[in-house]
Amino acid sequence: MNDHAATGAAVDDSTVVLGIETSCDETAVACVRGGREVLSSVVSSQVDLHARYGGVVPEIASRAHNELIIPVLARAMLEAGLDGEDVDAVAATTGPGLIGALLVGVSAAKALALAWDVPFVSVNHLEAHLYAGFLEDPDLQFPMVVLLVSGGHTLLVHVTDHGRYRLLGQTLDDAAGEAFDKVARFLGLGYPGGPAIDSVAMSGDPEAIRFPRSMIDDGLDLSFSGLKTAVVNHVRANPQVATEDVAASFQQAVVDVLVAKARRAAESTGAVALALGGGVAANSLLREQFLGACAEDGLHAFLPSRELCTDNAAMIASTGWYRLRRDGATPLDCGADPNERLAPSS
Amino acid sequence: MLILGIETATTQVGCAIGGHEGVLASVHAAKGRRHAEYLVPSIEFACERARVELSEIGVVAVDVGPGLFTGLRVGVATAKSLAFALRVPMIGVSSLDLLAFRVRFSSRLIVTTVDARRGELYYACYRQVPGGVQRVTDHRIGTPDDLASELLASGDEVLLVGEGAQRYPEAFDGLAKVELVDTGDSYPSAEALVELAHARALREQFERSDAIEPIYLRRPDAEINWAVRDGR
Ligand SMILES: [Zn+2]
Repeated sequence: MNDHAATGAAVDDSTVVLGIETSCDETAVACVRGGREVLSSVVSSQVDLHARYGGVVPEIASRAHNELIIPVLARAMLEAGLDGEDVDAVAATTGPGLIGALLVGVSAAKALALAWDVPFVSVNHLEAHLYAGFLEDPDLQFPMVVLLVSGGHTLLVHVTDHGRYRLLGQTLDDAAGEAFDKVARFLGLGYPGGPAIDSVAMSGDPEAIRFPRSMIDDGLDLSFSGLKTAVVNHVRANPQVATEDVAASFQQAVVDVLVAKARRAAESTGAVALALGGGVAANSLLREQFLGACAEDGLHAFLPSRELCTDNAAMIASTGWYRLRRDGATPLDCGADPNERLAPSS
Repeated sequence: MLILGIETATTQVGCAIGGHEGVLASVHAAKGRRHAEYLVPSIEFACERARVELSEIGVVAVDVGPGLFTGLRVGVATAKSLAFALRVPMIGVSSLDLLAFRVRFSSRLIVTTVDARRGELYYACYRQVPGGVQRVTDHRIGTPDDLASELLASGDEVLLVGEGAQRYPEAFDGLAKVELVDTGDSYPSAEALVELAHARALREQFERSDAIEPIYLRRPDAEINWAVRDGR
């Protein structure tokens, strides 16, 4: 067996981790030194393959990952100027995500770790989104609250230290990104819905329609399916309504809820910092209002650049570095878990 | 030249190491299905058993199907990544070719089958040629009854092998010229893969890792539904 698996080799600022991410529809490989220094980060998006279906098709995603994994890997190593001997550990997303897609990245990562005789590290995709903010901001502060919003997830997490998480709240139905996709599809704006609504909303009036802010004063859980229904009903009742105004008003309702919940979560836990992560964190209005809220409440704001909000492997490699330092290597008989949760509460 | 063979096209998981001395070690999990969990530790174990360092491997061979999609992707992704890291060439072999290789001494028409689920089989036909067998049809997918009618129409003496056909013996019951055999080798095996790949390696029939992809034979359901809706 791999020696590293038992001992957990020394992990320091010179340790290079190669990260692999294939949980959904991005095939991504990155090389990160010391958990922070991004040497390369290559993301190959399959968005065009899935666009006509209005969402990610698991079998198509799995096939594409299998075709793209080696070219993306080769490019990430070339851009970083690394050979196999320079890689000290290989990390991969083991969940949550699409099982067939995850297995491609996990299989590749374990094979590389075996061939290069270095540790393999399993990384939780949600944990990695939390770490995305740290990659660009060295001023790490605990305790913090992370608002994680993507097409698959909407969660509020209390983070008291590396690897110490507590789930504060989550969506009870649709993820925020899912609501963007569904509303965009209904409005005929195409896929993916987030960027489509973001750009159309720029020329709309966010106050034009008062859509419901579901559960806004009510705990830390969230709900978006009522909002989606309200949009559909409003457009059916008012066929002449301007799409720009619907998009802007819908987006405003989502952002109002997300920001209000994040602020309340920070206040109730005594957090000193607030972080945003996940694909929906690329939304212009959310970014603007998130920063405004942090400034008003005196919270340190972690706001990753747009490239690090959406799925990427730099966040996987970075998380892998912290995880390797904390827990050592993951055994090579590890598989993938489509429903993998964040580490249990602490 | 040492060859590592990886076989994950069915519910089984296997790997083997060998070369001109034959197969040095093989590891095989019969009720696998957990391909991703078993495969890499199996390769480690096979190396130990063969007293070989992974760095001594000169070719990575992989069963590219047809077979179980998830298993195939685990095997192909693992094999391609190993070949990339070790900087060695690859050889992709079809699961149906592997089954035929095991019965290559028969002079009958050889028909090999792998279970395709949903009541269908993957199959292909082979003829003996000097030094082995040659595939004389494409890889196909169809119901056991489709295959039975094809075999009846051919009029050939047929040796029918593979776990695919063995799941549906009743479909071939009435065919006088067709013998459905249980050779004990009804699954593609990693040992056969290493032997067959060795023969190809001697002829330098290598492939680049980016040219190796699973043989699916079925389009994704979403694509089929789309085409139907769209009249394509
Ligand atoms: Zn994500």
